Amino acid sequence: MSALLEAVGLRKTFRARGRLVHAVEGVSLAVAAGEALGIVGESGCGKTTTARMLLRLEEPTEGGIRFDGADITKLHGNALRPFRARAQLVFQNPFDALNPRFTIRRSLTEPLRNFGVAASEHRERIDAVLRRVRLTPPESWLDRRPHELSGGQLQRVVLARALVPEPRLIVADEPVSMLDVSVRAGILNLLREARDALGLAAIYISHDLALIRYVCERTLVMYLGQVVEEGPTAALIAEPAHPYTAVLVAAVPVARVDQNRAALPVRGSLSDAPPTAPGCTFRDRCPHAMPRCTADTPALRSISGDRRVACHLGDLP
Amino acid sequence: MLLSVRGLRVNYASRAGVVRAVDGMDLDVPAGSITGLVGESGCGKSTLGRSLMRVLPEAGRIAGGQVMFEGRDIAALGEAAMRAIRWRRLAFIPQTAMNALDPVQRLRAQMLEVLTERGGLRRTAALARAVELFRMVGLDPVRLADFPHQFSGGMRQRASIALALALAPVLVIADEPVTALDVIVQRQVLDVLRDLQSRLNLAMILVTHDMAVVAYACDRVAVMYAGRVVEAGPVADVLERPLHPYTMGLTHAFPDVHGDMAALVPIEGSPPSLIDPPPGCRFAARCPFAQARCVAHDPAALAYASDHVAACWRADEAAELRGLAATPSTWIAA
Repeated sequence: MSALLEAVGLRKTFRARGRLVHAVEGVSLAVAAGEALGIVGESGCGKTTTARMLLRLEEPTEGGIRFDGADITKLHGNALRPFRARAQLVFQNPFDALNPRFTIRRSLTEPLRNFGVAASEHRERIDAVLRRVRLTPPESWLDRRPHELSGGQLQRVVLARALVPEPRLIVADEPVSMLDVSVRAGILNLLREARDALGLAAIYISHDLALIRYVCERTLVMYLGQVVEEGPTAALIAEPAHPYTAVLVAAVPVARVDQNRAALPVRGSLSDAPPTAPGCTFRDRCPHAMPRCTADTPALRSISGDRRVACHLGDLP
Repeated sequence: MLLSVRGLRVNYASRAGVVRAVDGMDLDVPAGSITGLVGESGCGKSTLGRSLMRVLPEAGRIAGGQVMFEGRDIAALGEAAMRAIRWRRLAFIPQTAMNALDPVQRLRAQMLEVLTERGGLRRTAALARAVELFRMVGLDPVRLADFPHQFSGGMRQRASIALALALAPVLVIADEPVTALDVIVQRQVLDVLRDLQSRLNLAMILVTHDMAVVAYACDRVAVMYAGRVVEAGPVADVLERPLHPYTMGLTHAFPDVHGDMAALVPIEGSPPSLIDPPPGCRFAARCPFAQARCVAHDPAALAYASDHVAACWRADEAAELRGLAATPSTWIAA
């Protein structure tokens, strides 16, 4: 399976109050058409910055990005337009993603106009995309404005707006976190259907492994700007190889009474100053830390055909 | 019963008409336990919390019913009497900790203000209490010298819990206290709440839209829909043997990190307008099991098992309906 989008060694450094902040430190990933990749981690782990680089909303400080075989790392302005039409972001907050004064028709026409689709095709494309997100019949939705819609309906419009330019990749950053639980499933099901029907590549970003498991076959776990584990989502949840993944799995609450209430296998918090190199950045919080974790920085290594982990546990020196 | 809400009605004035945000609500909160109040946006759960604290926005007013708390009807108390029990007997933790914290004051000053001005402690006693409160919620007392912006989201939420507990209330209302937090921090904050509840024998109302949070943190749960409680009881009973189709729907609506990978089932549609609510069961329009009587007549809340109440005409058939509710096709609108 050849990759539609491939990123190698992405780094992003910001300057904040005179200090350098390493938001992303060497992330490599690939996603193929028809595949959904999850990126999971807490606020501040670099997952959103990674997504913004993949969409070229940020320029990487280092590293390369190829889309459909072409290097897009350094493209700017007009040279990026074809890519912009093919790689779309699904916004997190449907309540402020749409212009409140625009009708649905106008919100969906703008991207078509921006990407140079002939006006004669607009109506057909818009009707088709509204049917795809189950806002039917389309004509009853076209002239409504955002304030007339519920959160779930708004998120369908946001999804329609991302799909209307007929992208080949969609990136969704916490696509349902602002919605009520009762309507989240509807949006996730639509995302799955759209991917299957259109053969889209999809990247989902979330702090919630339960959500990621529902929509992504493969997942990267990020901690402090680095990928600490990567593999098939089901395997990574069933048998986490990195102690941090184990914490993320244990932290997800489940709607059952017989759940695990044991203390999380982690110390401290993300806000504590991370330890400096060399060594593992998770070592101060890790229940399994050993002397080697302070001496050597663990590299991402293969532990079976399709699983990789950056941890010394189980690795014979 | 520490808190007993009976027939509570809370209205908001709006240009479109009177919104009956809470419309005949009953709720019992026993001492020393955590009661989850679960429901979707606009169901009235946050309005209930604000009504208990008597901090409704200007357009809102309590239009009827009783809120008995420690022998007094809070719904009828004057503002002076209310001020005497707010913070001291019942306290509030908002969703966004920044709403509880003053961004331009150090945490120490904020804690001292509550402890000395409202609590009547002397400065040295108040300082000692502030240190004790920070330790209780798992914050290093050194951080009392910090401003809120120096805290992470989870630390701010801990600080707002410490502030709510300053004057040792018996009932704490927490409005979506973990909704804005990442899973790990969410779990840590829930653990703080559970630990404090048991150590201090607090009663707590935890307002949330997430059944999984209820399952993790609560002893009892009341499920709200369109201004009313449609089902209530011990968490184990309500989760394992839900009686109301809305509760059944909620338990299938979101993925489980370990369970089977069956397709998720959204509850299609939206709640009715609360300006002119329909005459029958308010869930009827979204309910796959609705019958003619459900649309015509409002079902009363009845006890179907000891301590397990539901307002559904078909609650007697719940065992059968639960089986059907687990099938996605049941929920796809005809």
